Amino acid sequence: MPKHIVSGLNYLAAINLRKEGYLQKEIAEALGMDRSTVSHYINGRNISWDSIEIAEVLSKLCPEDFLKITYTLTKDTTKTRIIIKTLKDFNFRPKVKDSCIGCGLCVDTCLMGAVELNNLKAQIDSNWCCGCRMCESRCPTNSIEILEVEETEGL
Amino acid sequence: MVANEKATENKNISIKREAAEKRELCFEDEACIGCGICEQICPVDAIELGPMGAIVRGELDASKINIDESKCVLCGMCSVGCPVEAIDFTIDGKPISEIEEYPRLIRSISPEAENCVYCGACDIACPQGAIRVMRELPERAKLVTGEIEVDKDACISCGMCEDMCPADAIYLEENIPTSSNPEIATDIVIDKDKCVYCGICKRICPEDAIKVICKACPYGEYEIEEAEVKGDLVVDEDLCINCGWCQEICPKDVFEVEKPFEGELIINEDACQGCETCIDVCPCNVLSFPESSESGQIASKIQKDEKYCIYCGACQNVCATNAITVKRTGVNITPTKSKAWKKAVDSLKFSDEKAGSSSSGAAKAKSEGK
Amino acid sequence: MAYRLVVHPELCHGCGNCVVACPVNASKSTEVAGGKGPQEDVGLSIIVEDGVVRINQLKECKNCATCIKACPVGAIGLEEV
Repeated sequence: MPKHIVSGLNYLAAINLRKEGYLQKEIAEALGMDRSTVSHYINGRNISWDSIEIAEVLSKLCPEDFLKITYTLTKDTTKTRIIIKTLKDFNFRPKVKDSCIGCGLCVDTCLMGAVELNNLKAQIDSNWCCGCRMCESRCPTNSIEILEVEETEGL
Repeated sequence: MVANEKATENKNISIKREAAEKRELCFEDEACIGCGICEQICPVDAIELGPMGAIVRGELDASKINIDESKCVLCGMCSVGCPVEAIDFTIDGKPISEIEEYPRLIRSISPEAENCVYCGACDIACPQGAIRVMRELPERAKLVTGEIEVDKDACISCGMCEDMCPADAIYLEENIPTSSNPEIATDIVIDKDKCVYCGICKRICPEDAIKVICKACPYGEYEIEEAEVKGDLVVDEDLCINCGWCQEICPKDVFEVEKPFEGELIINEDACQGCETCIDVCPCNVLSFPESSESGQIASKIQKDEKYCIYCGACQNVCATNAITVKRTGVNITPTKSKAWKKAVDSLKFSDEKAGSSSSGAAKAKSEGK
Repeated sequence: MAYRLVVHPELCHGCGNCVVACPVNASKSTEVAGGKGPQEDVGLSIIVEDGVVRINQLKECKNCATCIKACPVGAIGLEEV
């Protein structure tokens, strides 16, 4: 069953990536799939509607749950990152305050690999931030603020 | 969620977090002087300083600090603040003292070994046993020249020469006289390596049995070998805490010491009850009980000499009657771009209103207001 | 790991060295230094009562161990809390 949900997620991600203009080959590489499967998905010869429905429900969950469930299902950070980035509904503007001490807990926490340290301060890449806020809750100095912004912003 | 791993060995503590990077903190109990700076600088209150008075006095066998691994976030601030490098902090195996982004306390000891005459004052004075002076003196016999001879037939073994010899160069082999050997000594021996040909034995001998000629004087000093002292001055920088004792006590200005902190040490004599805890704890031997100038005179309760102080604050922490204030005014540290780290370093400095500077916003507003 | 002063009355000989040595005690009352101690409760840390050591209050005790050092029979120590 988990495999089917992953297929659903892959399907949704593939369709979205195609809409964003990526080639089938690129999509296959990013999601770790066969090109033929990608081609099937894009041409409407899809997998079961149930799987897609479940995947759609997942993608509407709060970002933290969506991220954690996806990671649990795929057990693959690279794949999780692409799926979440492609299917997230909102954009986020992460802010790191000067009180950041550069302990790196956020770097270790972020499943999206969106955080790195620069001059003893966390830097969060808004392109990859999925709004799960796990870094925010883990930060020992409350230095992180994740703001939701309009979908169109920055694109 | 990545959790910290803690390990303790003897009194040493290590805390590790392995994820995107491997961060590791290692506390070395023996190097720790109990100043409490780590406790003060830790942003998450993960460090607790132990009862240093009891520990240095041997009344409690425990680590000088404790680190709560569930609170520690492995930021490295304790390591940067530690003035004696008792806390090592590495990221992916690299010490943060070698990573440019991190500030580093500036402290040093630079000995000019070629000026050293191996008097050994620094070795004796160093409170941490960080300096060793080893020396090799020339043979005494090579610095004098002369002749000495005992007429053993004339000698009555009175032993006066032995008693008088300032160089312990004369030795009588004593004997209990018996009817078969009615002598009080069987032999008189002169150790020519010790004899300096001073002639005292000759002058004290009641029988004129000793002849001594000192050749050094008539021939002049130039005939004699130059007195050469060989030696070695070894400074263990890991043990050195930059107190400056060596610099102050050296008669030849061999040492230059850079201290990590500047400040002022204030003792309130009225509050001091003379319990001696600060004296026992001070790693720099700054404090002592003075001796009264004459009997019946009451000396001051405690004496300090700030020349040797590094303003670490260990004395203030242990004082039960709050008689000591260490006003740290300067921290000798390399710059950092991080505002949070700058603030942490500044928090080590003494301020009258410690309470008012807790949030970065307040601190910023304050500096802008100036 | 916090520590707290503990006494073992069963070992105490009642000499009172600890009462005199304690810097907190000395700062509370000049009578302590004389060896007698004040009659009223002035907030001493450690006292000898009916010939036996007793902890009175530890609010100001900093675990300096001066009393432990002064005790001839090992009747005072520190324990983890």
